[in-house]
Amino acid sequence: MRERFLTGYNDFVLPFSLGLIFIISYCVVGMIRILHQLPAEDRKRFFISLVTPATMWKNIKDIFLKCLIHVDIWKRNKLLGYMHSSIAFGWFMLIVVGHIEVFLYTPHRVKLFYYPIFFRYFVAETESTMRGSLIFFLMDLFLLIVLSGIALAIIKRVRSVMFGMRRTTNPSFFDLVGQYSLWAIFPLRLLAEAFTADISGGSFLTKSLNYVFTSFLSNHANMLPAWWAYSCALGIFFFVLPFTRYMHIPTEILLIPMRNAGIKIRNARKGFAKAEVYSCPSCGLCIDACPMGVMKANIKDTTVYLNRQIRRRNEARIEEISDKCLLCGKCTAICPVGVEGDKLRIAQRSIRKYNLNPDYSNIPADASGIEFAAHEVTAPSGRAREKILYFAGCMTALTPVISKAMESILKKAGADYAFMDRDGGICCGRPMFMSGRFDAARMLVEKNTEIIKASGADVLLLSCPICYKIFREKYHLDGIRIIHHTEYIAGLIADGILKPSSDDTKYVYHDPCELGRGCGVYEAPREVIKSVGTLVEAQKNRKESICCGGSLGSLTLGFDKRRAMTENALANLVTESPDIIVTACPLCRSTFNRYSDRPVEDIAETIDRKITKTVKS
Amino acid sequence: MKENILIIGGGIAGLEAAAMLLRLGHSPIIIEKSDRLGGHVASWHKLFPDMTPAKDVVDRLTAEASGANIFLNTEISFVNKLTDSYNIMLSNGISIITKVILVTMGFSLFDAAKKEEYGYGVYDHVVTNRDLEQWFNGKDDPRIDNSAMNAVGFVHCVGSRDEKAKNSQCSKVCCITAVKQAIEVKQKFPDASVYCFYMDLRMFGKKFEDFYISAQRDYGIRFIRGRVSEVSENIEGRVVVKAEDTLSGKPLKVTLDLLVLMAGMVCGDSCTKVAGMIPLPVDSDGFLKSKDNIFDVMESPKEGIFYAGACTGPKTVPETLAEARAAALDIHLYINGLE
Repeated sequence: MRERFLTGYNDFVLPFSLGLIFIISYCVVGMIRILHQLPAEDRKRFFISLVTPATMWKNIKDIFLKCLIHVDIWKRNKLLGYMHSSIAFGWFMLIVVGHIEVFLYTPHRVKLFYYPIFFRYFVAETESTMRGSLIFFLMDLFLLIVLSGIALAIIKRVRSVMFGMRRTTNPSFFDLVGQYSLWAIFPLRLLAEAFTADISGGSFLTKSLNYVFTSFLSNHANMLPAWWAYSCALGIFFFVLPFTRYMHIPTEILLIPMRNAGIKIRNARKGFAKAEVYSCPSCGLCIDACPMGVMKANIKDTTVYLNRQIRRRNEARIEEISDKCLLCGKCTAICPVGVEGDKLRIAQRSIRKYNLNPDYSNIPADASGIEFAAHEVTAPSGRAREKILYFAGCMTALTPVISKAMESILKKAGADYAFMDRDGGICCGRPMFMSGRFDAARMLVEKNTEIIKASGADVLLLSCPICYKIFREKYHLDGIRIIHHTEYIAGLIADGILKPSSDDTKYVYHDPCELGRGCGVYEAPREVIKSVGTLVEAQKNRKESICCGGSLGSLTLGFDKRRAMTENALANLVTESPDIIVTACPLCRSTFNRYSDRPVEDIAETIDRKITKTVKS
Repeated sequence: MKENILIIGGGIAGLEAAAMLLRLGHSPIIIEKSDRLGGHVASWHKLFPDMTPAKDVVDRLTAEASGANIFLNTEISFVNKLTDSYNIMLSNGISIITKVILVTMGFSLFDAAKKEEYGYGVYDHVVTNRDLEQWFNGKDDPRIDNSAMNAVGFVHCVGSRDEKAKNSQCSKVCCITAVKQAIEVKQKFPDASVYCFYMDLRMFGKKFEDFYISAQRDYGIRFIRGRVSEVSENIEGRVVVKAEDTLSGKPLKVTLDLLVLMAGMVCGDSCTKVAGMIPLPVDSDGFLKSKDNIFDVMESPKEGIFYAGACTGPKTVPETLAEARAAALDIHLYINGLE
């Protein structure tokens, strides 16, 4: 390779160079701001994690797999996965191989950052460059891969169903500018390189195209507009990037190490929350996932639009979107970049000021009514003999059939149990927490902690997944095990203490949001159901389970709006025509029960019904 | 040849319409899915506001309709639409070809177990308005103590005016039924405290208001405005009710020997099923849709198909009877018009 120009410069590099300088400065400033906004301890933790070998390796791995290969999208839909990784990985490889070219052939130009991008313009091929060498081939190959990705992206805009997406996001004006410039970059690169391929060399793609061009465009002066256009497309893309969804590309590289460092949202708009908001690629996967989207309603209230409105600082819409959400967490579960839609919304809710702030300090934390060994304890020693404190919670109090079944199971198991809130108890704090009123929630948590610790229990048993989540996450109970009744019953069956009878009834299990996505309990209830009958699965289950519509999470959604959601969730459950719908959340149970055409039960009722023999020691 | 007239449902609407049609010279056919006539009213004890025995009403209607062709224990298997008539196949194997159908399939009582928070089917002393009526009629109920009762509560609007329970309509008659049943309980157990938990009291009918005032003045029944928030059971198995008295703004907790749930009316199960066969449209309230809700309440949008009674919405006994007579007259005129 030899250089064609003495200076190694042409005016057409300007749009690209200015754009690149702009975007790099923007990202650096943005990164410093986000890191600066973190609380001091989080910042410290972040920097430490950057030099800890384990997280360092995880960061590199995650960035490679998520940002370049997009493994999560591959798992979801192969075509969508290919589209993303072909563009991201292909482009990345074009840059890498481009740099290798410069290192190999014109090492003295390495300091010119634009040189690898426009390398083919500045050089001419000589005998010593081995025509059709591997590098030329690789460059064309990766360009072809990127072009195939771009072609798919264009098809996706028209027919997103092919990519497993029923609905996609409405692009904003800047998104469109960014998108069109991104789509233009690679065809223009092909055009520009094809023009110069007879001078600078090329491979199967550029060289062949060059033969076509020379047949009617023999004048090399024509090449300059193509290179200008290529540079302009790059420049425009870089200049609009901060105002488009493509900002997710640089931000995700920051988000991944922050998340690996264990940083959580502490402020609704700053620090980690900001990183999450800017990491949103606006892909719109959350639109299909959102349970509020039945009948094409509430589409503009999904997480992707929340992120957009937060970026635009549209306070009225932010509030509306944040308050409406059911907090089922499905958007978080399926988000390929890990934007936590539910937590972001709770954070927005926490900004609001209330005139009235509850004071729970005068509620007595009284554990005197809790008496163990009030019933005959016949369970064998060991795990079954532990002192179990049963906290039904307010939702179970409103569904007494569950607490009654649970008490019956405890008796049949001969367990040593006590009822913590038979005659009314203190709220677990989760509803306050969900509405962003952390201080009020904390007061309730402290009161309950005091009672539980004073009771002398070994295990805290819960029936309501809403309570269960906050007990697991926010309570520190010094060694008292916290379990949900699905896990407790599964344990009793596994230990042979309960022996339910089995028949050929077909059950479907509905994963409650708070128990499944919220606490990761998927297996225990399924094992329990398999011990009494045939388990069939809902069309969408486990982490993609559909919210029943009864969630406490929404502050504004009326029952008239929820009805369609409940009916949709039910339709999803009965595709395998089960005889009975089983769930493990009092709220899901009562929500479904009123709309269902077949019986809806809590898992405790099912098991209680199927156990006739009691344990005798 | 006389036209066949098929009356689906042998409740009070069907019987009264049949009696009227007989008097007008027609020969109606009544099909009834259960083994007796009179529908819901037959299982009731006394009717407001004059405490008329329900049995007398049903007996009189049955006697008047006895000239009709009545099939008990019979349901509709399927319906075929012919050019200008319907071929209706019955579960007893008989098929009827008719140009005129009168739908009098009435309502179903809301399933109180669907309001889990009240513990129907879970707690030992929670019953519905119908359970109580049957107990009044002398049927023993293990949930109701025959000998003594100190405190009884009535919960209004169970499954009525409740979007969460999939029924946002007012069931119309439960307010006055609760007043009536409260008085009857008080008559049986004069020392018992009787509470009614209501959100509104809708005393719209003839003498209803007097009845309500008498319940307070003469029987000392306590009306508490506020919905029940939680029902639980104490160690002795008595029912503990928590509610808010919204007039005094205070929370309240009472322990009761019996809690009666005033289950509301929803469109009958078989009504919805048969409506699907013909098919007849269902209105947004879940009941059958009339051609017009002011002028043509008793006419369906389908030619030759008429309605009477609670299949188009909650109604009192006199309203149902009036509708049945009106529908009979409509049918008479319709048949005359056919010839």
